[in-house]
Amino acid sequence: MSGTRDWSPEAQRYLDGDGALPADAGEAARVAAFQAAVDDWAGTVRAPDAALDARLMETVRARAAAGAPATQRAWWRWFVEPHQIAVRPAFAAAAAVALIAVSSAVAFLLDAPDPTPVPMATGTNAGTILVRFELRAPDARHVALAGSFNGWNDSTVVFSQAAEAGLWTVTVALRPGEYQYLFVVDGERWMPDPAAHAQVQDEFGQTNSLLVVGPRGVVRS
Amino acid sequence: MAETRAGWSDGDVVRRVREGDVAAFGMLVTRYREAFGRYASAVCGDPDVAADAMQEAFIRAYDALDSCRTPERFGAWFHRILTNQCRNHRDRRRPHAPLKDGLGGAVATERADDRVERGALRDAITAALEELSAEQREAFVLRHVEGRPYPEMAALTGEREDALRMRVHRARETMRRRLEDWR
Repeated sequence: MSGTRDWSPEAQRYLDGDGALPADAGEAARVAAFQAAVDDWAGTVRAPDAALDARLMETVRARAAAGAPATQRAWWRWFVEPHQIAVRPAFAAAAAVALIAVSSAVAFLLDAPDPTPVPMATGTNAGTILVRFELRAPDARHVALAGSFNGWNDSTVVFSQAAEAGLWTVTVALRPGEYQYLFVVDGERWMPDPAAHAQVQDEFGQTNSLLVVGPRGVVRS
Repeated sequence: MAETRAGWSDGDVVRRVREGDVAAFGMLVTRYREAFGRYASAVCGDPDVAADAMQEAFIRAYDALDSCRTPERFGAWFHRILTNQCRNHRDRRRPHAPLKDGLGGAVATERADDRVERGALRDAITAALEELSAEQREAFVLRHVEGRPYPEMAALTGEREDALRMRVHRARETMRRRLEDWR
């Protein structure tokens, strides 16, 4: 097609809502006619009828009754949500020794997974695996962990600053399963874990980190 | 004391649904059918196809509600699901299905010759939309059917403003050529 039939920059700005009608009378008339035609057409576009709501909610209720994901959450959330582990300083050394002993025993007896640096299993606790996450972020003021295991809530699992400057860590207890997660830095920047075993795209094209927890610890993806 | 649901934010509703209040999901359905319904109809090119796409999108959103990272921004999250479903359902349309005239019905009070001309012009615009890429069509509809400014479009789609402007500009070039051919 001929380039002479393209809109002028002034016309595009006007149609973008950023400027006045073009000074050229012919172009201004074409812009006005185009705008009127599109507005007329747009005025005929209708949303689906409100009857859709009732039909749809019938389907949703049926799925909920059949145990679709959203209703399963209410009762199994308690089992799969992470729980932060608080340890009194006086017991820290003993706890560390116990964790190392448990980890070593499990690794020796059960062909432990790869000794991946982080996230890593640090022990077991009543059917859950203690998984330690780390992030080196010297300029961060706050770091949180959000993932499929806690409903992508960015306020329930908060990192602590480690003794090593700029290093943030948190340990959570997770049931075996496959999880996607992100770090939330300063409450606004959602970022994948640079040390994750794998990164995956969710259905919206965003990148999440992937964590697979097996009965014996973190499994390399 | 009775709860007042009318003032609930999207975040409030999402949290209620996650806690097992299935009926609360109906608030999101009504809210976003009204907010995005015309977008879906225009993008799909057929209100019946749009209804199917919306139904599928809402069910997917319900099933995946745990992966909605920021419940307060449910709208933007749902918009991306809906856009994907609109693309899928457009692809499933019957080949060469006649496009719905004006996507919603004619205006009964027009003179007959005006109505014929307007109908032809609407058909030309609908046909021009068919020539656009999915991305151009979606951007054009957000700008010219919904009248959204570019910053709002960017927040909704997660795309950069300059990319959206470019898509709308190209869509308008195609439209202009098509309409001039029609005249």
